[in-house]
Amino acid sequence: MNKIWIIIQREYITRVKRPAFLLTTLLAPVGFLLLMVASVAISTLNTGNNNVAVIDDSGIFNAYFEDHNLADAEDGSVHFFVVRENFDSLAASLSAAKEDEARYSAVIHIPAAFQIESPQNPAMVYMHVERPGMARQQFVNARFTDVLNKIRMQQLNISDTLQAQMEQTVKLQYISLKNAEEKSGYGLAAGIAGLVMGFAIYMSLFFYGTMIMKGVQEEKTNRIVEVLTSSVKPFQLLMGKILGVGAVGLTQFVLWILLTFIVNIFVLPLLGITMGDSPSAAAMQSGGPEMDPESMQAMVYSLRELPFTQIILLFPLYFLGGFLLYGSLFAAVGAAMGEDSDQQSLMIPITLPIIISIFIAMNVVNNPDSSLGLWASLIPFSSPIVMSALLPFHQPVWKVALSLLLLVAGFVFTTFIAARIYRTGILMYGKKVKFSEILRWIFSKG
Amino acid sequence: MSLLSLQHIVKQYGTYTASDDVSFDIPAGKIFGLLGPNGAGKTTLIRMITRILYPDAGHILFNGEALAEKHTERIGYMPEERGLYKKMKVGEHLIYLARLKGLSKSEAQGKVNHWLQKFQIEDWYHKSIEELSKGMSQKVQFIATVIHDPDLLILDEPFSGLDPINSKLIEEEIFALSRTGKTIIFSTHRMEQVEEICNEIVLVNKGRKILEGGVKELKQRFKEHLFRITYQGTLPDGMLEKLEVVSADTQSLTVRFAAGHKGNELLQLFIEKNLEVTSFNEILPSINEIFIRQVHSSN
Repeated sequence: MNKIWIIIQREYITRVKRPAFLLTTLLAPVGFLLLMVASVAISTLNTGNNNVAVIDDSGIFNAYFEDHNLADAEDGSVHFFVVRENFDSLAASLSAAKEDEARYSAVIHIPAAFQIESPQNPAMVYMHVERPGMARQQFVNARFTDVLNKIRMQQLNISDTLQAQMEQTVKLQYISLKNAEEKSGYGLAAGIAGLVMGFAIYMSLFFYGTMIMKGVQEEKTNRIVEVLTSSVKPFQLLMGKILGVGAVGLTQFVLWILLTFIVNIFVLPLLGITMGDSPSAAAMQSGGPEMDPESMQAMVYSLRELPFTQIILLFPLYFLGGFLLYGSLFAAVGAAMGEDSDQQSLMIPITLPIIISIFIAMNVVNNPDSSLGLWASLIPFSSPIVMSALLPFHQPVWKVALSLLLLVAGFVFTTFIAARIYRTGILMYGKKVKFSEILRWIFSKG
Repeated sequence: MSLLSLQHIVKQYGTYTASDDVSFDIPAGKIFGLLGPNGAGKTTLIRMITRILYPDAGHILFNGEALAEKHTERIGYMPEERGLYKKMKVGEHLIYLARLKGLSKSEAQGKVNHWLQKFQIEDWYHKSIEELSKGMSQKVQFIATVIHDPDLLILDEPFSGLDPINSKLIEEEIFALSRTGKTIIFSTHRMEQVEEICNEIVLVNKGRKILEGGVKELKQRFKEHLFRITYQGTLPDGMLEKLEVVSADTQSLTVRFAAGHKGNELLQLFIEKNLEVTSFNEILPSINEIFIRQVHSSN
């Protein structure tokens, strides 16, 4: 045990002392922020000519447009211009013009024979110089359907006031009978919190898992392992490395949380920004489903209703459990792989369950009480990610207890398997390792 | 008294037998050569002695006790394929390895200072390993092997990659350790070093022990009763007829005697003929010749 402690210290201190550690600790939150800002920026980025001409030869739309607007796209991706020109000559001039000099990127033609009763036959045509993307096609279809509906309502003598009333949609308030805390908007808040936690574990499994793997590969490649294993048992070496890297991860997490607090409490107010204005909120608003301010407020309010005690107690346990379970497997793969980087296929059995877990997590935050959620939060290979995602949805004690129990059994099992692969693999040189061989190592004695 | 005793050691990898019923004793305080061609199973034996691997059958005794974890702290192992953590500093690296061998932090610190001083490399303490040349890191590796003052040292090709000056330094250190009563297992391909350094050897081939004994005793055992005599003057006709001459140069003869005859008989002959003998000696086989012959005949 004393030797494991010495190994943990070395693994921890050498990593924390490296400039790279400080750099990732400081830059990761900045990078994360940039990523979110960039994703918002890219999603709203419009390039090229957004002007679309509309020529109505049927007269049905022109009559409507006399006292109504054809609204542009809210994000500025399409500007409509209702023009009274000859369609054929406009189309000809557009196709003849150089692409960047054309007045319009497309022209929508409503043929003379167009009928309200059968809008598909003859159909409206969108003649384009620049190909419209899927989003633009959907937008144009929706916009003209909308206009057509309004023309129909006009013909039925439905007043504009009435039309406005008809556009109002119903929004139910979703309230849990079992958990009084889960007020309206809670599901959304819990889902977001759950996904954030699920992703945190997902990312750290890969990040620190690879760190373990690289460390083992280094020891095997530079052969120090032979000296080490003559002093300590391979199992001690394995545990020392996993726990040492785990401590590095924990340190980094704590620093990140502290950093976020400092930035939020001291730095942002200085810049005149409050939490609500953070890019993540903006990203949710523009990227996610359109949300009215009212339910946004309910969601933010509900964040305060999350079961924080349960989360603070259990999230670190799942983090640790997942880390131990997968960390030992990453070490085993590193031992089998050595310097041979073209043996990446050995990683598939580890990476696949992690990736599947995050997909399950994304599903279960929408269906927190599904049987998929139940099973995936019990199976140790997926429970760290899936259960973390479910923690905000008030999990029953029996489920958490069973899940943790299985997780402990799971990592005892994988560590046992990994130790057997590790101790053979780490001394095996100059040979390509196959899965069948690794299986033999697991079952071989001493 | 043997420090280490291997008894009927068997080790298999799948269907391949790396050690096939190997037994030998390593006497305390001696420098013991573990010899064999590539792939003979030397490293497997060493790994079992260092408890990196475990035998499938047989026993290893350390000082009469079954080899156990507590003994690893009394063994120092310098493998043929050497390595250190590149990013660590020499001082902290040595302290780390010493602590893994059971030394306390302050003991380790003291030992590191002692050895760096001894090799006159105190200024390396804060150097990172990746700055060292191969020879330099070899020295660090040697210190790491002996730092915890082990009773048994296992040196696998300790001179490979070293220039003559550093080789000499390490060699002297090996003798110095031997004088203080340490037992040393020395594994190498270089037979001239074996004759120079080892007291006893064991020779393995294809996982089996094919020979063991003291270096001097083995040379006697495998001698072919060859004598070389150099002389002044001309040999009278017919003098050589009674002798089995292996080779003849000007003023020099190599002669094989049938067992039971003594070198004095040859000298007698030359004296009788009034030839002046300038040198006379028995030719003993080198360990290299014994090695090659034994490996061939065991193949």
